[in-house]
Amino acid sequence: MKQVIEGSHAISEAVKLARVEVVSGYPITPQTHIIEAISEHCASGEMKAKFIPVESEHSAMAAVVGAASTGVRTFTATSSHGLALMHEMLHWAAGARLPIVLGEVNRALGPGWNIWMDQSDSLAQRDTGWIQLYCENGQEALDTTLFAFRLAELVNLPVMVVIDAFFVSHTFEPVDIPEQCLVDDFLPSYAPRIALDPDNPFSLFQMAPPAVYMEMRENMHQAMEHTLDIYNAVEDEFAVIFHRRYGMIEEINCQNADIILVTTGSTTSTARQVQMDLEKQGERFGILKIKTFRPFPGKLIARALKNARKVAVLDRNFSFGSGGIFAQEIKGALQPLNHGPVVFNYIAGLGGRDITPEIISEVYFKTRDRQAPPAGCEWLGMNAQAHK
Amino acid sequence: MESQTVVKEKPEIQRLTNNVSLYISKSHESSRINKTGSWRFARPVYENKTAPCSAACPAGNYIPEVVMRLTNGDVRGAYRSIIKENPFPATCGRVCFHTCETACNRKGQDQAVAIRCLERYVGDRAMAEDFPLDAPSVPATGKKVAILGAGPAGLCAAYFLTRLGIACDIFESTDRAGGVMQWGIPAHRLPKPVLNHEIDNILNLGINIHYNHILDETFFSRAQDDFDGVFISPGLTIPLTMGIDGEAHVKEGLQLLMDIQRGIVPPQKGRVAVIGGGNTAIDVARSIKRLGADPIIVYRRRKQDMPAFEEEILEAQKEGVEIRELKSPVAVEKTARGFELKVVSMTPVAEKGTDGRTRVIPVDDTMETMEFKDIYSGIGASLHGAWQPAEPDLKTTFANIKFDLKDIPFVYGGDCVNPVQSVTHAIASGKEAAIALGVFFKNGINKLEETLNSCRVGLGDALSMEIYLKGKRKDNASHVVTESQINRDYFTAVPRIDPGHMMPETAVTTFDEVEKTFTDTEAMKEANRCYQCGFCNECENCRIFCPEISITRQNGRKVIDLDYCKGCGVCSVECPRNAITMEEEK
Repeated sequence: MKQVIEGSHAISEAVKLARVEVVSGYPITPQTHIIEAISEHCASGEMKAKFIPVESEHSAMAAVVGAASTGVRTFTATSSHGLALMHEMLHWAAGARLPIVLGEVNRALGPGWNIWMDQSDSLAQRDTGWIQLYCENGQEALDTTLFAFRLAELVNLPVMVVIDAFFVSHTFEPVDIPEQCLVDDFLPSYAPRIALDPDNPFSLFQMAPPAVYMEMRENMHQAMEHTLDIYNAVEDEFAVIFHRRYGMIEEINCQNADIILVTTGSTTSTARQVQMDLEKQGERFGILKIKTFRPFPGKLIARALKNARKVAVLDRNFSFGSGGIFAQEIKGALQPLNHGPVVFNYIAGLGGRDITPEIISEVYFKTRDRQAPPAGCEWLGMNAQAHK
Repeated sequence: MESQTVVKEKPEIQRLTNNVSLYISKSHESSRINKTGSWRFARPVYENKTAPCSAACPAGNYIPEVVMRLTNGDVRGAYRSIIKENPFPATCGRVCFHTCETACNRKGQDQAVAIRCLERYVGDRAMAEDFPLDAPSVPATGKKVAILGAGPAGLCAAYFLTRLGIACDIFESTDRAGGVMQWGIPAHRLPKPVLNHEIDNILNLGINIHYNHILDETFFSRAQDDFDGVFISPGLTIPLTMGIDGEAHVKEGLQLLMDIQRGIVPPQKGRVAVIGGGNTAIDVARSIKRLGADPIIVYRRRKQDMPAFEEEILEAQKEGVEIRELKSPVAVEKTARGFELKVVSMTPVAEKGTDGRTRVIPVDDTMETMEFKDIYSGIGASLHGAWQPAEPDLKTTFANIKFDLKDIPFVYGGDCVNPVQSVTHAIASGKEAAIALGVFFKNGINKLEETLNSCRVGLGDALSMEIYLKGKRKDNASHVVTESQINRDYFTAVPRIDPGHMMPETAVTTFDEVEKTFTDTEAMKEANRCYQCGFCNECENCRIFCPEISITRQNGRKVIDLDYCKGCGVCSVECPRNAITMEEEK
């Protein structure tokens, strides 16, 4: 049944439907609504879950790591500085191969203090061994959260479900909330491969000396590769029941495009409108939406982009001293192609600044009208006097 | 605009299973093969320390243990803890000036724990339920000691000597035991049935007491033959004089207090002066108020210099006792209406006297005349000349006794020796005398100093009978726990509980007791405010917090498994009361 709810509650509804057994969390804007709604569901008995209040995000992740080690389905959510504080335990969750799902609301890091949309927080956790799935809207957030539990439990890797601060987290949209029986069909109760059991004691995650550590890391990489292999099959399972699928990437008019804009998250929705308008004007413009950042579907992306002349990557993040993070990854993915497209990198929308249709048009026309990208990347929508 | 592809057909799918290879560290071996104890460079040691209250108590009461038993609801146990060190809980719980509370670490957080009121509660419960005075003791040694004076020092000497297996005969010049507790302290502070209950408990241990006994030369020569030692605690019985004109018109306050105890209650009227600033002056003034007059305390120094206990001064003022400070009496004259007290006004000067107190000098020669119906002195008393203790050499002068070895030991104690004249110091003196005689009989004079010092509480003057008798308390470290060594995270601010007092308007019409005793609930609440500094009360924090799970409980005792304790010190930090010490590994 469709209900008008905010993106945060799309995630908390999914957590409830997923019959999560242990939730821990610490409030931080703009994530708080997720954990707040879940704590209310736990208190009212609507969710038969243990909610563990803690004093920090580091402890929140530690609590769900402990809980997941006993073989129960777990969830936590955070944002920005909270995710940064959780960093150490993110490595732990992944290295322990625990299928924890984390609701992550993209927010900038301070100082200057900023509570608004920016991907720097989640992208800084790129190498922790977590699957990262970026969502465009409330419906995708709900669906991806359900999907994340299934995926995580199939590959024994933790999954981060990422939504944009405010643009998704606090925006009310009609969202189809599925029936519990359908969710139960898609998401069977969790059958852990390993679970601590006092009746059969063993120790987990102890020291891994040089003789085994590399194999363990390679094994995690194999699980990431395996994720790419089975992703479509898991989506098949999802689609059979819910009649929706998103793909690791989504191609919009890519086959006919000279120029393809690469987007993530809610910017994609704005870009869809601009693309339709420009196509009517005869421009050969396509969009590639990237949903899975880890594992990075490089081959799929290269195949989608290979026929374009130019690729414009719009990064809502920045790696100081280098450039946009998605652009770096895409350049890497295109490297095996002979005569692949030229990559233009644009930076926009940091710290919650709007990415308007005008900015997306600007991206398109600047890319169309130049033979080659300027050195480095270009910052768009800047206030001229601001830093003079 | 739909962002998602809608699937029309329902494809045939094979449900996936988790067949990903999973390479993680997992072992069915016990992780106990990893002996984390080898990382340790410091080890935790359970070590009870000395609470500041215990160190400050002249009688050496083991206050944290008393409170621990109270918080466990074990009032009988709490009583047993007290009587190991002090047979007068109901009495001290009323009249002690509680140096323990002054030293209390809790003051830094809110207010000191009402230790005196808790002691009284235990004493009152013991009286109501007739708990026996059954502290640990040793078998009879065949030794006999004569005790001169049945005041708190004499009674306590008898109590502790009896416990050391030494027979006692007390010789008392009046017809009742108790000394200043019986004759000096008015009933509104210390009801006599309470005092007599505790005295009877002591005498019933098999102590002979001889009342109305004349203590003269003959007695002394006989004592040498009949006893192995003598304890002399005559108290201060000779009222001090001021040496002013017309002093013969001034009545003795101490005599008034004694008369009241004997049922002689001369009704008083009008303004009555009480000269002095000590507890006697306050007791006299408050008694006069109860007899119907308006007492005015005339004191030559400032109010803050009064040696009387602050609480007593406040209580007196609440009851309407006026205090005229900085007035020094110079003469008394009888008039038709009563008496005239001539005083000069005094003023403090910067230089201190030899006793360390602020000196006062007359402002000028101007004499002021005050009119009174009656004038009482309450300036204290001195020792009867017959009892002046010989000055033994320094080696045998201890905190609260003088030990004079002639053919047999003559030990002087109580007010005639003590630096502070209080019931609690008298108790300390009796205990010190008993232990000193015990040591002397067993090991001779040379062992005296060493043994006494080994029984001190926290390196202070107070002695512990439990330590002397080699009880568990002997293992306690002498370190006195400071405020900063308490983990305040475990203690929330809770206001101190006041036991309540009779309304002053009612109090002055009767010699009934003014202060009330704690109810069971109040006592429990107040006991729970106590940090129990340096005292393991089995709160289990150490065991709960140990990250190596190396603290276990075996046969009711906590055991630290040093194979796994990596010396992190979490137990020591999380101990709320500083009962775990980290010791460097050698």
